[in-house]
Amino acid sequence: MENRKLIDFKVFLNGIWRENPILFIMLGLCPVLAVSSSVKDALGMGISVIFILTGSNLVISLIRKIVPNHVRIPVFIVVIATFVTITDYILAAYSPQIHKNLGVYLPLIVVNCIILGRAEGFASKNNVFNSILDGLGMGIGFTLIIFIISSVREILGNGTFMGKLILGENFKPFLIMIMPPGAFLVIGILIALKQKLEKGKKKC
Amino acid sequence: MKKRDIITGILVITFISALSGYLLAHVYNKTKPKIEEVKKVEEEKLNREIFPDGFKFEEKEINGVKYLSVLNENGEEIGKIFEVKTMGYGGYITLKIGLDKENKIKRIKIKEHNETPGLGSKITQDSFLKQFIGKTKDDIYLKKDKTDEKIDAITGATISSRAIVEGVRKLLEKIENGK
Repeated sequence: MENRKLIDFKVFLNGIWRENPILFIMLGLCPVLAVSSSVKDALGMGISVIFILTGSNLVISLIRKIVPNHVRIPVFIVVIATFVTITDYILAAYSPQIHKNLGVYLPLIVVNCIILGRAEGFASKNNVFNSILDGLGMGIGFTLIIFIISSVREILGNGTFMGKLILGENFKPFLIMIMPPGAFLVIGILIALKQKLEKGKKKC
Repeated sequence: MKKRDIITGILVITFISALSGYLLAHVYNKTKPKIEEVKKVEEEKLNREIFPDGFKFEEKEINGVKYLSVLNENGEEIGKIFEVKTMGYGGYITLKIGLDKENKIKRIKIKEHNETPGLGSKITQDSFLKQFIGKTKDDIYLKKDKTDEKIDAITGATISSRAIVEGVRKLLEKIENGK
């Protein structure tokens, strides 16, 4: 059991930058790479992750005292899968375009290591308020970074932003940016930037 | 593991799963009408992409085969749309095949598929599907399968490509023989 205040806002800020899921924890990168070639799809993925992560953290924290240790993983997966399926139905009904573009990556959120990682590493060991803050922080941190990555990739690789041409008709896009190597390049550079920014502040 | 632990474990998992099932059934029922509506709009959109000048689309049947008859404003049939199911790499692929008045292929659209994203999923692209336009059934083979034949498979997605080819050719054969 961690020693933490009842409601600790540092938990929220933690997920956004210091322990950012994409740039620091580096779990669940596959959907990040796959869905970040268009800003609209990235935002769709990000919002889904915020909802699913916060929801599952909330529920798992609520039931943490009654779930026996030896069955916790199946229980976590059922909870996560329930939230993902709810998101799936809602998107299919109200945002069919985003639903289509997320495609198979939406159901894959069930096995996204970030979600299970926070469930196991935080929500099962902390109270409901902090678990919600952790889910929101990690989800927003995830969405922020995938937004930056997809902006770079879409603008440089397609000349558009949110589908609208912004660099003019004569811009020849760098096609590599919307292909997998482009994703790796952007993530690598962002991770390096984060390290550089923190090197100055590090207190050993 | 004590017997009591096993029982608690079973009870907790059963309870959580039952709760989950109940919740999901509820959300499913709430969203079902909207999802059906979305599917209908998608379907109409596909029909219009195949026949942009179609005024009315009527369900008809010939020799036990259902199809959509495409009518212009004067009520004349300007083409037909057939829905065909073929077995692809990841399961069934549902195609919409538009035929013009001479029963030649006007346009093909993929309605549903389970092919691999980035590879087999490319069967939905016009760059692949436009190869079929105007061809007769004897031309519909992959270049791999019959040299100097006309259809290029998608690189890395032979099975998906072949599935489409087979599906289209079988329909044309059925039309030639059955009708």
